[in-house]
Amino acid sequence: MKNLKEKFFDNIPFFVSVPAILWQVLFLCLPILFIFYMALANGLFAFTFEYFRGILDWVHLRIIVRSLLVAMLNASLCLLIAYPVAYFLALKAKKMKNFLLFLLTLPAWVNFLIQVYSWFFVLERNGIINKILLSTGIISDPLHMINNQFAISLVMFHIYLPFMIVPLYNILEKFDPQLIDASLDLGANRIVTFFRITFPLSLSGVYLGFFLVFVMTFGEVVIPMFLGGNKTLFVGTLISEYFFGARNMHTGAAFTLLSSMFMGATLLLLYILMKNKIKTSLSLKG
Amino acid sequence: MRLPIFVSLVYLFLYLPIIVLVIFSFNSGDSYSWSGFTLQWYRELFQTKEIWSALINSLIVGGSAVILSVALSVFMIWGLHQKLTAQKINYLISLFYITMIVPDIVIATSLLVFFYFFHVSFSLATLIVGHTILGLGFAVPIIYSRYKELDKRVVEASLDLGASDLQTFFYVIVPFLYPALLSSALTVFIVSLDDFLISFFCAGASSQTLSLYIFAVIRQGLSPILNALSTLILVGSSLLVFIFTFLKLKSSSRKL
Repeated sequence: MKNLKEKFFDNIPFFVSVPAILWQVLFLCLPILFIFYMALANGLFAFTFEYFRGILDWVHLRIIVRSLLVAMLNASLCLLIAYPVAYFLALKAKKMKNFLLFLLTLPAWVNFLIQVYSWFFVLERNGIINKILLSTGIISDPLHMINNQFAISLVMFHIYLPFMIVPLYNILEKFDPQLIDASLDLGANRIVTFFRITFPLSLSGVYLGFFLVFVMTFGEVVIPMFLGGNKTLFVGTLISEYFFGARNMHTGAAFTLLSSMFMGATLLLLYILMKNKIKTSLSLKG
Repeated sequence: MRLPIFVSLVYLFLYLPIIVLVIFSFNSGDSYSWSGFTLQWYRELFQTKEIWSALINSLIVGGSAVILSVALSVFMIWGLHQKLTAQKINYLISLFYITMIVPDIVIATSLLVFFYFFHVSFSLATLIVGHTILGLGFAVPIIYSRYKELDKRVVEASLDLGASDLQTFFYVIVPFLYPALLSSALTVFIVSLDDFLISFFCAGASSQTLSLYIFAVIRQGLSPILNALSTLILVGSSLLVFIFTFLKLKSSSRKL
């Protein structure tokens, strides 16, 4: 028969692992369930669909679709530009690698809001781009580059590009360059080698980067708020509008859920499409 | 070794706005055009009390989030490995990936709804809770992947030689995890300082953090003091990264 003290010492691993799990369940899982509750309840135990019915219209749907499209565009653009950079960093940069990686992450350490703010100096009516173009005589009137979709997309691309480069770099760093030599020796050209060897082997990094950038862009609040001139609403801006402007938590919760469901469905669809496409393209040729 | 034009252009694009911002922090006018060199804005920055109290709040929140999330993660990962099989541990760890899957705005709104429902008034404490949730999402994966590299024979040797579980934990496991603890602490700190959404939704009116202060200033338009502040933040964070890289190199040269 063990005494109490021994029992306590035997169970120390249990006692020390519980707090973290409890914290996660209590302050993350439970609150997410509360979003469901808030969206569906209009009394303590009275449930209703009225909040969902209130947002199931074209106005809300259009905002969700717009956010999805902008997120898709941004993630694709980031992938397109990030891949060559990550490839260079992982396989070609050699000695400069660490320094270039350091430079890549440094802007992300500056406050995110300040990064967004710094674009005003570049894009404004009398910002540097307009100054340069006007003084060289390329344009005669200042370009309108702020408070529109162009500014939103540009800044989203700027902020989230590093989040695409890093996962791609991490996966390409493990890639064995001898595989490329082998493929070239066996008669494939560089383009075929890239699409049949390098790219398929880096897919997990592509998925992760795309996923991260997509999710972050979809929920973005600050960039449309500052650079969109409050003209176009996005999912993130509308959610904060419901919570702080209209003070309508029930509808806000319902809209948060609805847009998250759309986001999840889109990502799942993309993943299935990508998987099938890669499978068929490989089986057709090989 | 030459840098390809494409890569240089991408880096130029990444740095262009920040460089312009730093240059304009020395501008004597308060518009988008250059009118002469001055240090006036730095002087005013040091005299603006609001910024420094916001910074102190941010440091309190960031520091607490770092301590909480790193301590909770490391104890949990060690504890789980004493009792459970690898598969069960994987299931439990996947709980901490939710933070990455769910957009920040959903985490922020759900915390707001949660606190509101239980009539918890918003303060620095609610903010620390939110930032620790963010922090756990980074600290658990980083520390867990390092723990998996731990050679079990070292632990067994320590136990065979008469060390207790706790002694093994503090003299063998924690030193082995040191680089991961360092990088997770730094990551959580940066994430906390950088966060705006959780702060926006979960901080009370009385508890202003640096992010919330910056947000309020930007809403009012151009502010040269903000440019000076940004330059200092940039210098500060580069120093932090340098110190961190130095510490990491030092610890990796002192292998087990």
